[in-house]
Amino acid sequence: MKPPLGAPPPLRDVQVWTIGAITGVEADADSRAVERFVTAGPRLSAAERFDIYRSGYHARLLECLLDDYPVLAAVLDRDDDGQFAALCRAYVDRHPSASPNLNAFGRHMASFCREAKLAAFPGFAARSSFASDLAALEWALVEVLHAETAPPLDIAALQAMPPESWTSARFIRSDALRLLRFEYPVNAVFIANRIDEVVPDVPPPSPNAVAVYRRDMQLWRMDLTPAMLGVLEPLVDGKSLGEALETVEAECTDPEVLAQTGANLMVWFREWVQAGFFTRVVLG
Amino acid sequence: MNRNRFSLPNLGIGLGLRTVHYAHILEHAPAVDWFEILSENYMQTKGRPLHFLDRVAERYPIAMHGVSLSIGGTDPLDRAYLAELKALRDRTKALWVSDHLCWTGVAGKNTHDLLPLPYTEESLRNVVSRVKQVQDVLGAPLALENPSTYVEYAGNTMKEWDFLAALASEADCALLLDVNNVYVSAYNHGFEPAEYFAAIPFDRVVQLHVSGHTNHGTHIVDTHIGPVIDPVWELLGEAYRKTGSSILLEWDAEIPSFEETHADALRAKEFITTAEPK
Ligand SMILES: [Fe+2]
Repeated sequence: MKPPLGAPPPLRDVQVWTIGAITGVEADADSRAVERFVTAGPRLSAAERFDIYRSGYHARLLECLLDDYPVLAAVLDRDDDGQFAALCRAYVDRHPSASPNLNAFGRHMASFCREAKLAAFPGFAARSSFASDLAALEWALVEVLHAETAPPLDIAALQAMPPESWTSARFIRSDALRLLRFEYPVNAVFIANRIDEVVPDVPPPSPNAVAVYRRDMQLWRMDLTPAMLGVLEPLVDGKSLGEALETVEAECTDPEVLAQTGANLMVWFREWVQAGFFTRVVLG
Repeated sequence: MNRNRFSLPNLGIGLGLRTVHYAHILEHAPAVDWFEILSENYMQTKGRPLHFLDRVAERYPIAMHGVSLSIGGTDPLDRAYLAELKALRDRTKALWVSDHLCWTGVAGKNTHDLLPLPYTEESLRNVVSRVKQVQDVLGAPLALENPSTYVEYAGNTMKEWDFLAALASEADCALLLDVNNVYVSAYNHGFEPAEYFAAIPFDRVVQLHVSGHTNHGTHIVDTHIGPVIDPVWELLGEAYRKTGSSILLEWDAEIPSFEETHADALRAKEFITTAEPK
């Protein structure tokens, strides 16, 4: 029933009803309820007009997630068109935005992929670990894009370091660096899609690691071998170079990896410094 | 030339700054009068967006345009958001800050849409009080923009244009008049743009928006896609004749090359040269 003129419903009540009807998981804004709150227009009924807001809600947030996860979208929709949209719809219902800003809206996607049940796409369950890995890679790119800008460590500063100070030196990581471990080769999938413009199928598992970082405002991805990761991870966690090497020796059971580390450490280290992984060095 | 009561300058014909145009702008430094930035694109970030923004702001006058103030909402004003908005204003030296006459969510849930307000006395009191609080925090002129809307509330006791006029006067705020939004809402609700224009306090209008839209026959959606249609340009000419305000083209999806976007914005000249304010 339309409230009598001069006695409009309280503003808060109108807003609470509106948001429930737009965003409700079972948004059953049936036409009678809509007519109590909004009027018909010259060409559309109240319910038809209100639907513009209801469909716009999911569409807008889907667009935001598509910006963050273009490769995940391409791979999921390759065989099952609409699968990414279904995933996003479920995501929006599970993690509605509470922030005035959408920059971090997609942050739960990797974990959400592992728990999502998509009734219309039963095949998703078999791909959920792959989807989660791919989402983690794409989210790392978003985080690194927004990470604080700091000048990278100057290679000359390293050259000026006294040789005896190397083992105790600590290298302060850049905020714009993420180290990620994956069950699936998602960086290869990313490259195939973004660079070769093909949509690959879901590959078989193959454990690997990738560094995601920003250098000169560009986003980059670097594959890391287990030996590289063995040194880089403790360094990034704040251990000194000496401690990092002790960790490798204590934890590594593969003599091949140990040999690689010994032979290549300085080459890798120079590459990491040039890539801007570190911003400062703190001498022992 | 400007004739608004806030003495804000007429910056000329500007464009909404969009990421797809960053490279072109930085490389070619095109002769654009000014840029409007989407405030939220440069908030909740410490990285690349700010790097580009700083370079653009070094060269061009900037105004800030937001979508998340929720000035008509009934949740408390988001103080963290306001503090960040002010910090961005200080960083860019934006000449004014605008947002929409709308609300975006309630009870902590944000739709990221520009939802129409109920136009009632209670709603007016609510917005007036919030505009005053925001202006205190910002220390910069706040301009509110008339939204494109698709529904009207059954409990409305006043027209949008009367609400906007009363709000501007009671809160002493500036207005951003989007002539495309007037056109869209007029179509969707069945009123004449002239009714809207008759009520607008043009001395408070510091900026004009113009954009493309998508006409579905039954209704028009304010998509900011495509070139501006002539009837909307004609409304722009009429509004310019009354205000002499800064003009800005918004193009938000299916964005063409920088040159093409700029060329569409410059079409404003055809409609304002015959409407030069005296
Ligand atoms: Fe606008």
